[in-house]
Amino acid sequence: MTGARQHEGIADPIARAVDRAAGVLPGQGPIGVFVHHNTLHAFQHMPFHQGVQAGAAALGARPYLTLREFRAALQAGRVADADVRHEVARTLGADADGPVLPSLTRAALWHTLLTEACEPDDAAGLAFTIRIGAADESRDEPRWRACLSRVARGPAPRPPAGPPLRRHRDALVVLGAGDPDVPVHAELIRLGSGFLDQGQARAVMPRRDLGFLRAVAAMYADGASAPRACRGVDADLRQVHAQGLDAATVIRESLLALSVGGDEIEPFLFATTLALPGWAGMFSRLERHPADHPDGPPASLVDFVAVRLLLERRAIERACREARLPSPWPVLRALVPPPAPVPHVAAAALLWHVSRAAGLTPDEVTALPDDTLATLWRECGACSDVRRRQVFQDAYERTYRRTILDALAARRALPPAPDAASSPGARVQFVFCIDEREESIRRAIEEQHPGYVTYGVAGFFGVAIDYQGLYDREPTAHCPVVVTPGHEVHERPIYTELGWHRTRDRARQAWLWWERRALDASRTLRGGAGLSFLWGPVSAARTAARVVAPRSAMRVTGQVKAALAPRPSTRLSSLRADTDAVAPSSGKPMGFSLEESVDRVATTLTNIGLVRHFAPIVVILGHGSTSLNNPHESAHDCGACGGRRGGANARLFADMANRPDVRAGVRQRGIDIPPTTWFVGALHDTADDGVTYFDLDALPTRLATAFDEASTVLERARRENALERSRRFDDAPVDGTPDEALAHVEARAAHLAQPRPEYGHCTNAIAIVGRRELTRGLHFDRRAFLVSYDPTQDGDHRVLERILAAVGPVGAGISLEYYFSSVDNERFGCGTKLPHNVTGLIGVMDGHQSDLRTGLPRQMVELHEPMRLLLVVDAAPDALLTVAGRQAEVAELVTKHWVQLVSMHPSTGALAVFEDGRFVPYAPEPTLLPVVERSRDWHMRTRDFVPPALVRSALPERVVGFGHHPAPVLAEQVTA
Amino acid sequence: MTDLTAAALVLTVLLPAASALVVGAWVLLGDERPSERVTRNVIGAGLAGSLLAGLVVLAGFSGLAGAPVHGDVSYGDWLRIGDFYIPAVLRLDGISVTLSLFCASLTPLVARFSRTYLHKEPGFVRFFTLLGLFATGTQLVALAGALELFFAGWELIGISSAFFIGFFHERDEPVRSSVRAFATYRLADAGLLIATVATFELLGSARFSAFQGAADLPPSEATFLALLFLLSAMGKSAQLPFSGWLPRAMEGPTPSSALFYGAVSIHAGLFLLLRAWPILEPSLAARAVGVAVGLVTAVYAAAVVRVHTDAKGALAHATLAQVGLILAEICLGWTTLALAHLVCHALLRLGQYLRAPNTIHDTHRFGHAAHAPSRLERWSPRLAARLYAAALHRLRLDDRIDAAFGPVLAAARRLDRADRWLRRTATFDGEPS
Repeated sequence: MTGARQHEGIADPIARAVDRAAGVLPGQGPIGVFVHHNTLHAFQHMPFHQGVQAGAAALGARPYLTLREFRAALQAGRVADADVRHEVARTLGADADGPVLPSLTRAALWHTLLTEACEPDDAAGLAFTIRIGAADESRDEPRWRACLSRVARGPAPRPPAGPPLRRHRDALVVLGAGDPDVPVHAELIRLGSGFLDQGQARAVMPRRDLGFLRAVAAMYADGASAPRACRGVDADLRQVHAQGLDAATVIRESLLALSVGGDEIEPFLFATTLALPGWAGMFSRLERHPADHPDGPPASLVDFVAVRLLLERRAIERACREARLPSPWPVLRALVPPPAPVPHVAAAALLWHVSRAAGLTPDEVTALPDDTLATLWRECGACSDVRRRQVFQDAYERTYRRTILDALAARRALPPAPDAASSPGARVQFVFCIDEREESIRRAIEEQHPGYVTYGVAGFFGVAIDYQGLYDREPTAHCPVVVTPGHEVHERPIYTELGWHRTRDRARQAWLWWERRALDASRTLRGGAGLSFLWGPVSAARTAARVVAPRSAMRVTGQVKAALAPRPSTRLSSLRADTDAVAPSSGKPMGFSLEESVDRVATTLTNIGLVRHFAPIVVILGHGSTSLNNPHESAHDCGACGGRRGGANARLFADMANRPDVRAGVRQRGIDIPPTTWFVGALHDTADDGVTYFDLDALPTRLATAFDEASTVLERARRENALERSRRFDDAPVDGTPDEALAHVEARAAHLAQPRPEYGHCTNAIAIVGRRELTRGLHFDRRAFLVSYDPTQDGDHRVLERILAAVGPVGAGISLEYYFSSVDNERFGCGTKLPHNVTGLIGVMDGHQSDLRTGLPRQMVELHEPMRLLLVVDAAPDALLTVAGRQAEVAELVTKHWVQLVSMHPSTGALAVFEDGRFVPYAPEPTLLPVVERSRDWHMRTRDFVPPALVRSALPERVVGFGHHPAPVLAEQVTA
Repeated sequence: MTDLTAAALVLTVLLPAASALVVGAWVLLGDERPSERVTRNVIGAGLAGSLLAGLVVLAGFSGLAGAPVHGDVSYGDWLRIGDFYIPAVLRLDGISVTLSLFCASLTPLVARFSRTYLHKEPGFVRFFTLLGLFATGTQLVALAGALELFFAGWELIGISSAFFIGFFHERDEPVRSSVRAFATYRLADAGLLIATVATFELLGSARFSAFQGAADLPPSEATFLALLFLLSAMGKSAQLPFSGWLPRAMEGPTPSSALFYGAVSIHAGLFLLLRAWPILEPSLAARAVGVAVGLVTAVYAAAVVRVHTDAKGALAHATLAQVGLILAEICLGWTTLALAHLVCHALLRLGQYLRAPNTIHDTHRFGHAAHAPSRLERWSPRLAARLYAAALHRLRLDDRIDAAFGPVLAAARRLDRADRWLRRTATFDGEPS
């Protein structure tokens, strides 16, 4: 059924099923480092629609939003009716105009089925609403009666297929017996979490280094008692222990005992492995990435399945015995009744809507011949629920795509600026991560003066490193997950602070030791009692302070800490003067040699097109996010840094670029950084909108004024940014000043109870790779990844290739993770955060025990509009095809339509959308964009999405072309 | 001054009740559900009012203004049928004022936390209404002057607690856990109800002030009464063998877990014993049972904590261990120590529960601690492994209780089958479904 390519070579059905399942299971690792990835990565070799449908079917999830949600989007204007019609016609192709009824084309039928709620899932509910006259159908009573009587005479529509029957459990649930998964999962979760625990419990599962199956078998051999619903499994496990059976044998015997054989083995085992996807996925993930739990036991998916089947077999036998049902699979399955026929009320409702669309009178409905009605039912059946949602998805994306492309075309039609952005007039240059969350702060900077110029580059700034901060225990990779860093960089105290560092570190270690001891002790008998008296009242006072006044509590703590024990000044070990200096632990080179530094600096500057006209100050801003009580904190960090903060990378890059010898090397490559220019590394916190600068003590004094200007600009911009973010938080005031907004987001980040410290990548939808001049002044509502790329400097498309190879997978990973977590938050995402319970330090469960929840929580995706990333590239179609030919992963994303690729021709601006395997020219609607003086005037009118607008103060020259409206004219369109 | 104290006393109980009633009535009668803002303000006002009234009561009790007010404060009869009457009486003494203030200050704190935590949650209004009910229950339990009123508060705590566990009722597991907790509570309720009736019969009044009379009862009767109280307390405070529902109670939103199982609700059984101490005191047998149950529970829970891999479950058992100790302290007669232990312990756990989602963050800060084998593991790995398994499976307590109730469940299944058969054969409203 799915992704079978690589599994076909395996002859054994058991190994094949487990291998296939391993591909489908969630690939998320331990939650401490959250990396966004395509939830259905295993299906990425298939075309998007095929892939999501196959993947969703395998996991029992929804591939798209529900029809109800799509229809609500249609009502709200987030999908245009014209686009629905367009996509219906495109899907049907030549069949679109074929008649279904004499007065109804197939396209019209599909349009009706898509846009009107004509197939109730609750017939009794519909019957009731009709009786009280509240249903749609009550509007036309005669027609309703005609439909009801016509339907009663037959023929009947085919009922939709019932839930798939793949395992005993599916049949038992339909037949009303006890659900054997309940006791099996309860036992499996306890055993599995004990086995995989990374240090949350004080005791370690005995003999877990033998592997899951053997450890569990040994535990039962020592006399553990079986759960009541799985009685008999203790004897089975003792046998496994005594005979030293391996997992494959155990599975084979269990299948035999359940009478699952032949062709049924593979689907049965596939579904069984996927029945507890979170835990099974973690076993599978740790099996493939043992480095994710350094001291952990050898995890193995087959072991997990073997233990599961042992438990499941006994649970099934018991459930069958209690319900007096046979347990052999073929016999049990045969007992399940076929799906019930479609109730007359439901069929009549369908006929009611269709006959209205066809313009039939009630008499004509009554007179419909049997074969016409049968044809109609067949046609309706062909337009299945999933097909409709597929068409809707395309229409949904098309509506938004048109909006954006039209806006880009309108922006491009403005007269070009007399002086390009990186002109001699640039006063300060800011280099941000491409992250769509930085779009707003970049806009807020650009609004302040045409001379403030911003760039976007993947937030590791081209320096892939294993980084160890001053108080980190071990180095961690700060680069995209697909890259393995070749260098290690440490943060070290400067010479004069070495003594203080040692004292402080000792005190810090002692403090942490005590804190940890206290935490552990508070759970023991004596320690709990002692600490209750000693610490209880103090702890309560602290908690109260942090709940009632989070921001002040945090600030006071910070001030006290800074006064008593200031952090020592540090430098990065960035230069490797001695060529064979290696890090002791990893053996990797420590820091970069001169040539390597030159190479990194030159490459990144070339990538973003910052090769001349340097401003006196260039600020390099990495980003990260700080929040409390948030197991998903890492998901808000920089994706280009592998789910970590990008501050170290920014600092390192600035440090390299400031060195005279590096500059000399860079100059030889044609990039002349003048001695009057200084790079400053910084970290932007996307939760509290704080900005931290690094190594300011090295800033040349003559640049103090220039830097003051830069920091003032950022101070203003981060406040504006906080204000813009606040409008999306329902509990934040929108009528406040930027200062108040900043205080609000600071309080959010400091609040223990805050499930939404920030909205993260929520609402991300676009990635624009190209010159900022082409987009500067456009309001993208924090929805666009902005990647700086100058096609005029890139004759052989090598730069474009580098950029797309990094941005394509990272952007698509984020966009698809959000896509899946929002179309089915329960299955692909991890549901609401509120009952989450951290388990074994590897993930979260709901409440006291549940499957390990993977994906994103509801609080992170609730505003998201699930659509594929709209990747607009400032490059000609043939350039894009060349690059795709060289980069397999980009090619897969594009040709299989997991991203929507649009080419914007560098010289003509012509747009072409990659559709059905080729670039189709797109003729933009001539659009008059609303114009506002500052972006605040545009977005602060509503908490909802805002369409693109022109921000006059951010435009390179302060004029706007003819015809664009001042904004108030369109105010109603926004709020409507 | 007495009047003011008496009025404040009754307001402590009534204000949260009134706020819950207002919101509840709004939901039932209003055209649309109250907004988050209205809900949290109404309930917040109720809780804050209760705290203020509690402070006034404290002032009256400690004699800050005028003569100190002690003992029973009567508000007439709750119910009168012929000669039989149930007094509406509240009691002022050291224990009641401490507990009342303790609950009245923790609940608004949790409400403040929840206001942010539950923002945009579909169950927001339900949560706060239940919080109001719960606050009423705790105040009644703390301040009641007789068992009848105490029982009313006890029930309010029980029912709101069951609803909090089943807060996410769209999933199966919370509902299952909620039912299990509720069933255990009913058992405890039955004990308390019988105890109430028996106390009335034996002592002539269910007022706590009459409990001193228990010293004159024949030992068998006193022991019978004491054991009934103990049974109720064991169910409500999750002592062995009723501990199975406690970890399952972690299904609700984090703040409700904190308030119920960290701070207040889990200690309700202990409140009862502190109140019923005069009856417990003369019965050495019951006290011995209490000490044994408390200590065994404490050891059991401490063993489970060692193997528990989830943050909230581990906290629940860490809490349970202390509750077991406090139970033993009470039964040993160290009631003042027990009261102090109870309050301090609740304060400690509240913060720990609220910070439970921070576990991963904390571990990153502390760094992974290398696992050091315990003394037992070095001495007898086999015994340690058995203990590990027993603790991991929590002695299969739930299974054992299920087995004990097996016949009842089998009958229920038979009824269910009959019901399904009926539904298959009968049609609804002439419409084949």
